[in-house]
Amino acid sequence: MSATRHIEREDLALFAMQLLPKDEHALIAAHVAQCAECGQALAEVQGDLAVYAHTVDMHSPPAQAKERLMKQVAREKKTVPVERVATPPLEFVGRSEGTYRTGLGSGAYLAEEEPKRNWAAKVFPWVGWAVAAAVAVVAGNLYHERDALLSRMTAQAGRLDQVSADAAAAKQVMEAMTDPAAKHVTLTKAPSTPTPPVPQGRATYVAEKGTLIFLASNMEPLQPYKTYELWLIPADGRDPIPAGTFHPDERGNASVILPPLPKGIEAKAFGVTVEDEGGSQTPTMPIIMAGN
Amino acid sequence: MGLVNTPPLSAQDDAALLALVKRGDEQAMATLFDRYSKVVYSVALRVLRDPASAEDILQEVFMQVWRSPDGFVATRGSLGGWLAVVARNRSIDALRRKKPMDQVEDMALAAPFNLANEAERNNMMERARGIIIKLPVEQRKTLEMAFFDGLTHSEIAEMTGDPLGTVKTRIRSALTTLRKAFQA
Ligand SMILES: [Zn+2]
Repeated sequence: MSATRHIEREDLALFAMQLLPKDEHALIAAHVAQCAECGQALAEVQGDLAVYAHTVDMHSPPAQAKERLMKQVAREKKTVPVERVATPPLEFVGRSEGTYRTGLGSGAYLAEEEPKRNWAAKVFPWVGWAVAAAVAVVAGNLYHERDALLSRMTAQAGRLDQVSADAAAAKQVMEAMTDPAAKHVTLTKAPSTPTPPVPQGRATYVAEKGTLIFLASNMEPLQPYKTYELWLIPADGRDPIPAGTFHPDERGNASVILPPLPKGIEAKAFGVTVEDEGGSQTPTMPIIMAGN
Repeated sequence: MGLVNTPPLSAQDDAALLALVKRGDEQAMATLFDRYSKVVYSVALRVLRDPASAEDILQEVFMQVWRSPDGFVATRGSLGGWLAVVARNRSIDALRRKKPMDQVEDMALAAPFNLANEAERNNMMERARGIIIKLPVEQRKTLEMAFFDGLTHSEIAEMTGDPLGTVKTRIRSALTTLRKAFQA
């Protein structure tokens, strides 16, 4: 095969798959580099192979693969400044510091690491990477203290599990908050008592994924043995679906993060009722907050 | 939402994301990963048949994008297609425990598909599978052995007892059928 003759198309396919002996491979590489026609033919063969590659059975990579990559990416940070800065995605978030912790255990954990910054600002939208870094810290501890007392190891391992689970949850939160298909609903108290401050809730819901995040403020304290319960009211007229119970803290703030919900239910509205402790499967009237 | 003025990263095309990656934007990198990690991982898993090794390839291929995004912009080819082929090549290298043969960044790739779009990508995959499954079995097996198992035409000829020329022709015919079916 000389450099003056064009490459057989059969050989181009083998060349593209890097299956030819070294010398033959080198000859073809030299020809292709200076022959536009064969270069184009090779690009087409590569395109065919790309299509063929996509016929493989698809498997999702393990969840930690992305964290691993992003950790390495962060480690090999580029010197170019990034113009996009982290802005809190909701004006609602960050107004009252460190209060929306329910359901995301990492909030408390992260606060230990860096007490000065507001939890919400940290969590949105960079929480995934913050948690990944926290995992690295914990893993490092585990390594260096491997001779420490067994009880201590167990405690740390438990914490690591917790952080990993939180990382997955945090990723889901981040995706839901930034998903263009997300439905954002503000729930306000049904008009009857105009005395401020008015209880307010905000639901972010991605029907396709069944992902729901609900944040509430100015919630009135509950009587003993009572709980607030959030309801998803399906658009197709089905019965309301319980979407988690919650108790406000002493400042009236509460949240429901990623309650277990079926996927693909379009929501007509969201509502909140007061139920007996433990929650209910059907809402007890009245609906004290609603929004759509 | 905070980013009201720009479309979400998930809706941006590969070139825009690569431009961001070039500027060191980690979120753009994450978006590319979300878009293409599945195919890269699946190809590597098929070749190596080992999840841990496949994950290493996945990591390696995407780190290459992070380190030198310029290479991809220059080819003006399809990033998704490129990643799939590179995943295969790297996996074969790992299988044979040899150094990469080419500076893969230089590889040009002509593909008429917008693999950045998930719906289009899925549609293409379905069609390609449909075409491959209808190939004569010798053609299908030969291409599979060459591409996914990294067997040379001599090795395939030895295993199947077919003449070398026949093996080469089968590979070529299978790829030609695939291309023509998409052009139709
Ligand atoms: Zn030529």
